[in-house]
Amino acid sequence: MEQLIDTLKSQIITTLNLEDMSIDDIDTDAPLFGEDGLGLDSIDILELIVLLERNYGIRLANPAEGKEVFKSIRTLAQYVEKNRKK
Amino acid sequence: MPDIVITGYGIVSAIGNDAQSVLDSLRAKRTGIGKMQYLTSTHKELPVGEVKLSNQEMKDMLGVPQDRVLSRTTLLGAIAARQALEHSGLQLTESTRRVAFISGTTVGGMDITEHYFEQMQRDDQALPLFAQHDSGASTIESARLAGLHDAQTTTISTACSSALNAIILASEMLKNDEADVVIAGGAEALSLFHLNGFNTLMILDKEQCRPFDATRAGLNLGEGAAYLVLEREQDAQERGADIHAYVSGYANACDAYHQTASSDDGQGAYLSMSAAIARAGLSPKDIQYINAHGTGTPNNDASESQALRRIFGENMPPVSSTKSYTGHTTSASGSIETVISLLAMEHNFIPASLAWHTQADDVITPTQGVEGVTLDHVLCNSFGFGGNDSSLIISAHASHAEEPRRTDIQSIVAAESIIDDPEQLKQSRKWISPMEARRMGKLLKSAIITSLEALEQAGIQSPDAIVTATRYGMLDVSVRFLNDMSQNGEEQLSPTLFMQSTHNTISSAIAIRTHCHGYNITYSHGTQSMEWALRDARRLIQTGQAKTVLVGLHDQGTPEVCDMLRRMKAEPLPELYSHVIVLKADDSQ
Repeated sequence: MEQLIDTLKSQIITTLNLEDMSIDDIDTDAPLFGEDGLGLDSIDILELIVLLERNYGIRLANPAEGKEVFKSIRTLAQYVEKNRKK
Repeated sequence: MPDIVITGYGIVSAIGNDAQSVLDSLRAKRTGIGKMQYLTSTHKELPVGEVKLSNQEMKDMLGVPQDRVLSRTTLLGAIAARQALEHSGLQLTESTRRVAFISGTTVGGMDITEHYFEQMQRDDQALPLFAQHDSGASTIESARLAGLHDAQTTTISTACSSALNAIILASEMLKNDEADVVIAGGAEALSLFHLNGFNTLMILDKEQCRPFDATRAGLNLGEGAAYLVLEREQDAQERGADIHAYVSGYANACDAYHQTASSDDGQGAYLSMSAAIARAGLSPKDIQYINAHGTGTPNNDASESQALRRIFGENMPPVSSTKSYTGHTTSASGSIETVISLLAMEHNFIPASLAWHTQADDVITPTQGVEGVTLDHVLCNSFGFGGNDSSLIISAHASHAEEPRRTDIQSIVAAESIIDDPEQLKQSRKWISPMEARRMGKLLKSAIITSLEALEQAGIQSPDAIVTATRYGMLDVSVRFLNDMSQNGEEQLSPTLFMQSTHNTISSAIAIRTHCHGYNITYSHGTQSMEWALRDARRLIQTGQAKTVLVGLHDQGTPEVCDMLRRMKAEPLPELYSHVIVLKADDSQ
């Protein structure tokens, strides 16, 4: 799980082009969206949906579903572990 | 000020290839949205509003040899422009009048580029097709095919409000005596590029779109073209032309909220509608029908409804979205829906909003159609990505409202800033946070830095208006999206690349950053883009409509495109170029 968490962090940094950020800067339990956490928005959700499909073969049909999955890096890692097809 | 009149119009859309057939479809409540026939996409599950003509058929209609490769946008535009001229009864060959052709488009020749992009890069035979890529090239070719050989031409690219902004510019040029006849509107063909782009944003409905319905789940893309012939009332009367309607009010505002989403309170829409009503000398109760932007996405319809409620309150006139017939014809929608509104006015009916079944609290209830009404004033909304929101009012009679307007204010340059070397972006941290930078290509960074620097020099926080010029827009993201499509097909594409690819991204990003809700426009007319932008900025100041205007030319080259232009011996593109000028009214007069 810890390894998946780090992989996801580095994939998010690359996909979202978070210049100057390293995996240590992202708190595993902090919210990804909204001003209290990383500060991502609806377009980032769409990018993360593409990331899940490309790297893990997971298809999320609607962005609203994504909101729960993308609460934090930990919820995302749990979801990926359960649903990954590759 | 002279009154501006509409003396002709032409339209080609999913519900008909001319005004009469569009009228018949509207009255029969017959949608043109259906299964994809002409676009060769793998996304057959997505319904579209295609024009029921192949490129071959359109070439035949226009007398163009079949072996000539022409953009579908150009063909659609030429057909609608020809119809408009014919309808107006203008004899251009004998006329000494100054004619202008203003077209709104964003896709331009992308349908050709996406098909031949790889070939163009290695094959000299396919190479000349790239000359049709940019929006301006498509406008110029449509004008030629419509017989407008001596007209001055320009192209506006504010995404889905482009055509409405073309009509606004036409009215301004006529009032300012810069032309005697203006043919204005827009054209847009379906392309794989924007079908897939909208799909990455997850806002395309797999069913027929249901604007303002509780179950609405997105839009259906459409295509088409429509143009109006506009003149000053007196000129039209002197040549004995039929006057179909008056352009009585219009406004362009910016939501300045988000690149692809509308604000919850619909501020941009509220500003454009209320300013258009005020300019027409009317009050909300005078509006008898509203042709809404109404795309069918949850966000647009809620935001637009909020703005409508803020203006009309309990006295909401009938509202419909005719995108339920035509699909969302993006850059052409402003003129297509103005022509639909003209047909409604001339034939005494209000078009229904199709496919509406279930009421919802967050949106207005659209009309199911009304027959036998007299319409004096109709409001037409057209909103684009980046919050480029415009509204137009057409009226059956002259208002003769005395519009207070100056014509003599000089502009002076208050500040200037240039970036012409990517090295200069190293200073970006001063102006752009890492979170903002994540979605900014080099050109957007240089545009933001030069704009903020120039505004700071001029001592201005937020300008009254932002006018932007660009030949190709953010070419690096468009090229990456094209390469992704050719390498990986039509799946797993990046929404971030698509949302930056419209030409108006730069102008709206500056508006968002400077909280500028004022006039916001983007010209994309080849190497003449900046000339038109400066002309617009000076007109705004000259007529007292703005005191400070931020004008910028922003372009960039990618290795692929620079190489193609070099092989074509065309005007080269710099690697990166941003030139911003802050103009302000000369107070010393």
